[in-house]
Amino acid sequence: MSAVGTALRLAPLFRQSPLRRGPADTAGSAAGRDGAAAALPVVSFAVVTTLALLVVAGARVFFSWDDELGLTYRMLAKIALALLLVPLGSVGASAARTAARRRDDRLASLRLLGATSGTLTVLTVLEAAAMAVVGALAGSVLYLALAPVVGLLHFRGAALGAQMWMPWWWIPLIAAAVVLLGAVSALAGLRAVAVTPLGVRTRQRPARTHWARIAAAVGLAAGAVVVLQILPAFAELGGVLVMIAVLGAAFGAGLLALDLIGPWVLRVAAGIKHRRARDVTRLIAARTILDDPKAAWRQVGGLAVTSFVGVFAAGGLAFSRLAASDDLDSAEQYLLQDIATGVLVTLAGSFVMVACSIGLNQAAATLDRAEVLVSMDRLGMPRRTMTDAARTAVMSALWVVSGGSALCAVLLLAPLLGIALFVQPLAIVTVAAVFAAGFLLVRGALLLASRLVPGILARPERVL
Amino acid sequence: MTAPARPTAPARPTAPALLTAQGLSHTYPDSSTPALRGVDLRIDVGESVAIMGASGSGKSTLLHALAGIIAPSAGSIVLNTPAGPIRMEELNENQRASVRRRDLGFVFQQGLLLHELSALENVAVALMLGGTPRPEAELAAAQWLARLGLAGLEQRRLGELSGGQAQRVAIARAQVTGARLIFADEPTGALDSTTSAEVLDLLLDSVEPSDARSGGRSLVVVTHDRAVAERCARLVTLSDGRIVSDEVGRGADRTADAAAGAQTAGERA
Ligand SMILES: Nc1ncnc2c1ncn2[C@@H]1O[C@H](COP(=O)(O)OP(=O)(O)O)[C@@H](O)[C@H]1O
Ligand SMILES: [Mg+2]
Repeated sequence: MSAVGTALRLAPLFRQSPLRRGPADTAGSAAGRDGAAAALPVVSFAVVTTLALLVVAGARVFFSWDDELGLTYRMLAKIALALLLVPLGSVGASAARTAARRRDDRLASLRLLGATSGTLTVLTVLEAAAMAVVGALAGSVLYLALAPVVGLLHFRGAALGAQMWMPWWWIPLIAAAVVLLGAVSALAGLRAVAVTPLGVRTRQRPARTHWARIAAAVGLAAGAVVVLQILPAFAELGGVLVMIAVLGAAFGAGLLALDLIGPWVLRVAAGIKHRRARDVTRLIAARTILDDPKAAWRQVGGLAVTSFVGVFAAGGLAFSRLAASDDLDSAEQYLLQDIATGVLVTLAGSFVMVACSIGLNQAAATLDRAEVLVSMDRLGMPRRTMTDAARTAVMSALWVVSGGSALCAVLLLAPLLGIALFVQPLAIVTVAAVFAAGFLLVRGALLLASRLVPGILARPERVL
Repeated sequence: MTAPARPTAPARPTAPALLTAQGLSHTYPDSSTPALRGVDLRIDVGESVAIMGASGSGKSTLLHALAGIIAPSAGSIVLNTPAGPIRMEELNENQRASVRRRDLGFVFQQGLLLHELSALENVAVALMLGGTPRPEAELAAAQWLARLGLAGLEQRRLGELSGGQAQRVAIARAQVTGARLIFADEPTGALDSTTSAEVLDLLLDSVEPSDARSGGRSLVVVTHDRAVAERCARLVTLSDGRIVSDEVGRGADRTADAAAGAQTAGERA
């Protein structure tokens, strides 16, 4: 593979810091833009590593119980792991995409010099992996610091404590897995990025929504609802495990349905907003979504998971509260309490990861829009109008995403648990808290990304 | 904006000065050699000025300084607007942006069009930024697009327009606000020669003498294409950030002929 050889020879070029490049290099990057774009993937990989280590350590504890309820705990741990794996992968992919995006000028000039796309792919994957290594190291240190804190969590009536320490050699193993995840998702992320001699663009896919997609989504959702209606029958047939498995499958089907139909809903809503837009901010915001509804969905799509998990959590918490009053044996009492704890931990974990993913997506989107930003600036568009338009676009997507996924989750769970569960104060508070947190998170990410704008406008020659 | 008029270069009797630049110098932050070294330039109402010079001679830098896109390291620029003279070096970033959207028009090589907007919206946005309501802005935009031969293409997106059509949209946008000064940087740089000539015709058509109802409109066009430059009334040549020649171009005959023609016609009547 000569691409690997070439890439390895070119790699040192890439390690050069912008500060060390000569003053004559006019293609040098604005420190702010480059710094932020480089720090984000590293920080994200660190967070991913820490969370992965903590989750595995916790799951290890669950898997060590092999008494009567051990199987149930294992099943619950598996569900939590599955719920956390989706955002984990998406953070990896976003980090890799941002890493590729950051290299735009040098990648483009290498392409201009005739570097094959194989060489560029290897270079990008190498770089994402290098960032993942740095992040994984930092994340491992962070795990060592946080394990005692997480150890304070009580399961089955006792603190996890020292059980949170894994055999030491598990740590490099998991860190290596994160690096691998980074490299693989860089490869996947690159497929969405077009490197041409003229620059790196996030590849434009025509925004088409097939009726087949909508039909599939409706089918999935309907199937999930029907399955949940007859869930008690499953429970009688195969016990609680089958019931939980079916519940998990229905949950997955719901998320999939949402992902299929979400961009379409977003486009319809943006179409209405576009017709009604009276000022430049709303006009551009609506057009941004119409331009690529799928990209707009991806920006905040991670919140679908947290909203969904949030409603699940609300139901789970209210359920464990209500059920706790019955005369159960102590192990079963603990199980209910532990479900509540587990639900909250999973929720928190998915929030942290979604925060990283949204921050990264927002940064990548801002870098992608650099050319538009410079054009708007030259025409004398106030900077406020530019950032307001970006914010309006993302926030309107946010409402559709979190509202839609919460509605979807309630529709799925209400027949099962009874609507009464969701009007419990505890459930309402949980859902409200999840929404507020999601809202704040996205606003934070937008704020962070808008910090990139002055750097972009200060160096217009890099994008035009 | 309400600053009192300051003495500028004595106005020629025929046309008042629209923009006066004195002692413009500029050095980019991470560069050691200046891109502009003491440029003096006066642009009159109704004038078409071509700026030529080798690549890297400072043409774009001069244009950006004159248009308030960058703040030059030294020198003064006075822009005469309907609201009175504006001293550009006294303005901050935001104020310069507002001068750009209110008083100036731009047609650059890349067009500076927003790819997610339709042709109509790209033009209308220029008016909406100034506070014109969307329906009126779109009406005016449609009229300009029709005038530039783009009737029926209003709803097209940028990707669905040819390079020449996109430049026409940019020309419509530059004129729709009634800007009195249009800056063009290599406007035909990415076009074939036939389309290039058409676009240049439209740009030169936007130039209006000072006695016109609109109060006149001037054009400053940066180009490395001699054919383009020769059609302007004036040809300024830059070398190493200095003006090395400032001559009357062949386009001046056209303007003079037109003026003479108008005069004879008037005498005959
Ligand atoms: N953003 C920038 N930073 C540093 N140097 C620049 C920048 N833009 C232009 N230059 C330099 O300034 C000089 C003049 O550039 P420019 O005005 O773009 O020339 P022209 O448009 O005539 O080709 C060149 O030497 C160029 O390399
Ligand atoms: Mg230039």
